[in-house]
Amino acid sequence: MASTPEEIQKSVRSYLIVFGALCVFTVLTVAVATWYPLESLIGGHGFDVWDAIVGLLIATTKATLVAVIFMHLNHEKKAVYWIFAGGLMFAAFMAALIALAFNDPIDDPFFYTEPATTSPATTE
Amino acid sequence: MEIPYIVSPRKDTGLFNSKIAIWLFLASEVMLFGGFFSAYVFLRLGADYPWPERTLPVLPGLINTFILIASSVTVVLAWAALKMRQWRKFQIFMGTTIACAAIFMALKAVEYKVKWDHQGVRLNDYAIIEGHLAYYQDGDEKRERNFISIEAESVTFSTSRHHRPWVRDILAQAEQRGATVTLADDIELLKERGGSPEKVASAGDELELGLLSTLKRAHERARANNSGVRTRNLRQQWAEAKSENPGKRGWELTATVDIDRDAIADDLLDEISSVTFDFSQPVRLDFDPRDIREGSSSSRLRDDTVIAGTLLDSPLHLEYVDAIDFQHLVMRAEHRGIDPETAITNSWLYENHEWVREVWAWHQEKVGALEQRLIDDYGLDENDNPRRVPTDKERYRIGWHDLAEKAVSEGRVELSAIDKIKEEFIGPNYAARGQETFPELEIPRDQIHFESKFTPAWNTFYAIYFAITALHGLHVVGGAVVLGYFLFFGRAMYLSNPEWLANRVEVGGLFWHFVDLVWIFVFPILYLM
Repeated sequence: MASTPEEIQKSVRSYLIVFGALCVFTVLTVAVATWYPLESLIGGHGFDVWDAIVGLLIATTKATLVAVIFMHLNHEKKAVYWIFAGGLMFAAFMAALIALAFNDPIDDPFFYTEPATTSPATTE
Repeated sequence: MEIPYIVSPRKDTGLFNSKIAIWLFLASEVMLFGGFFSAYVFLRLGADYPWPERTLPVLPGLINTFILIASSVTVVLAWAALKMRQWRKFQIFMGTTIACAAIFMALKAVEYKVKWDHQGVRLNDYAIIEGHLAYYQDGDEKRERNFISIEAESVTFSTSRHHRPWVRDILAQAEQRGATVTLADDIELLKERGGSPEKVASAGDELELGLLSTLKRAHERARANNSGVRTRNLRQQWAEAKSENPGKRGWELTATVDIDRDAIADDLLDEISSVTFDFSQPVRLDFDPRDIREGSSSSRLRDDTVIAGTLLDSPLHLEYVDAIDFQHLVMRAEHRGIDPETAITNSWLYENHEWVREVWAWHQEKVGALEQRLIDDYGLDENDNPRRVPTDKERYRIGWHDLAEKAVSEGRVELSAIDKIKEEFIGPNYAARGQETFPELEIPRDQIHFESKFTPAWNTFYAIYFAITALHGLHVVGGAVVLGYFLFFGRAMYLSNPEWLANRVEVGGLFWHFVDLVWIFVFPILYLM
């Protein structure tokens, strides 16, 4: 990490560049969501899965810039990487558990009231 | 006690201790917010109503994003200034960071306030009307004209659950309308074992909180006594049954063992779970709709108070309607195979209000123009279907921007550019645009399926929106307090050990960056998707 005044002076420059980049990305994220010429190009007109992907990609890029430059993850000690990655992985794992809810058989409209004509027992 | 490794790094980790601590904390924060974002995804994928896409005001959200990004830069610059031993610069950058936090929270407060003042009404046919309630002056108090009115004849309070402010309110309303509230029957209670019943109150006694408190105490005392007596008797019955039937298991005896009611009759005290009062004349009482479940001849408050009397017409009066939303109605119609257009023209709103038909016709033209524009710009596919079509929101929701645009196109009301920008923050300017833009509307109570302000109660979108943004807001406040402490009380530490202060600021700054990082996701997910 920057420790001498010269090094810090240098990193101040990178902070300002990142600030500019974050502002540009913010404008971009609003533009792809709301500005007609851009938003209709990504996916269809209006919000769809492509808007979600692009929006989250831009957000992730911004978050990475903040984490790497402002939070000094570009030159941090190993212990910090382990701790942060652990938290991230755990959060991702928990988020993935949502999939279980959407593979729930109760989502199946015939789960309780399967018509007799289509049940495997009678069609076989 | 000296805390080790707060300036110099530990050899094994290569880090000073507080940095390890903050990263552990941030890892837990990642999981906390990860949980909330998961909840968001879960609610959105599972929503059984049209998810309100891009419903929050983008401009304040965008400005708040810039503010947080700027504060993230200033906090890291403050740290850099400390590292270079420039106290004055540190003060300026840290002061700016805290000012940014204050502006962020102020904008957030405005955003919340607009929602808390905005009324939503879902009708029985799932058409949604949004707007601003009418108010009236009640003494010194400004009250919403939204209540359930009952011509009350009697009121029965639950002695243990009655909510004292509501009792006071009923008394005040009765008094205001010249009625007295008196006890319907004498109350005699057996209060001591072996004693005789004594009169606690007489029919005709006026309703007062003291009487209800006395009855509550007597009731709770009797309940405590009676449940003790019953439990002891039941234990005794079990013991006897076990000794009379050696070798039998508990479940085999369950059917035969019970309390011996005759044996305990003399030990029981009188419970009084409710008490009824009569009004000297039928009197109109008004209640907040969320506090009451109304019925034609008897209604129940949330504290189990039962009001006997006739339900009066209690329409909900919207002074300004600022949006009509048929999205939910259309979604339900499509599930049942009904053509959206038919569903809308058969809706209560459309059938009963001329201006709704007029606005809808205007809106149809606008949607037609958009359809044409999308065809002109993106063309048709191989099956001659348009490649791009308007969204359901564009088709079936007429928002306040649309109503304002219509009024302007008809040459009615035009606002200055500054007033228009203000509207993007504080919502439509009802006073300036008036009822010619946002008409008034009276909705009969029996047409209402659900009504609420735009609070977490309105739908799951607002529930998760308030949960995530409020939690984030708390982080902003917490971070600002810590950074403010370094700014206002850090001078002594700076003079004695500047590196220590720099490390503390770095750690506080890491938290602050994390707060920014969360907002970087909150903004697109909640405001733009």
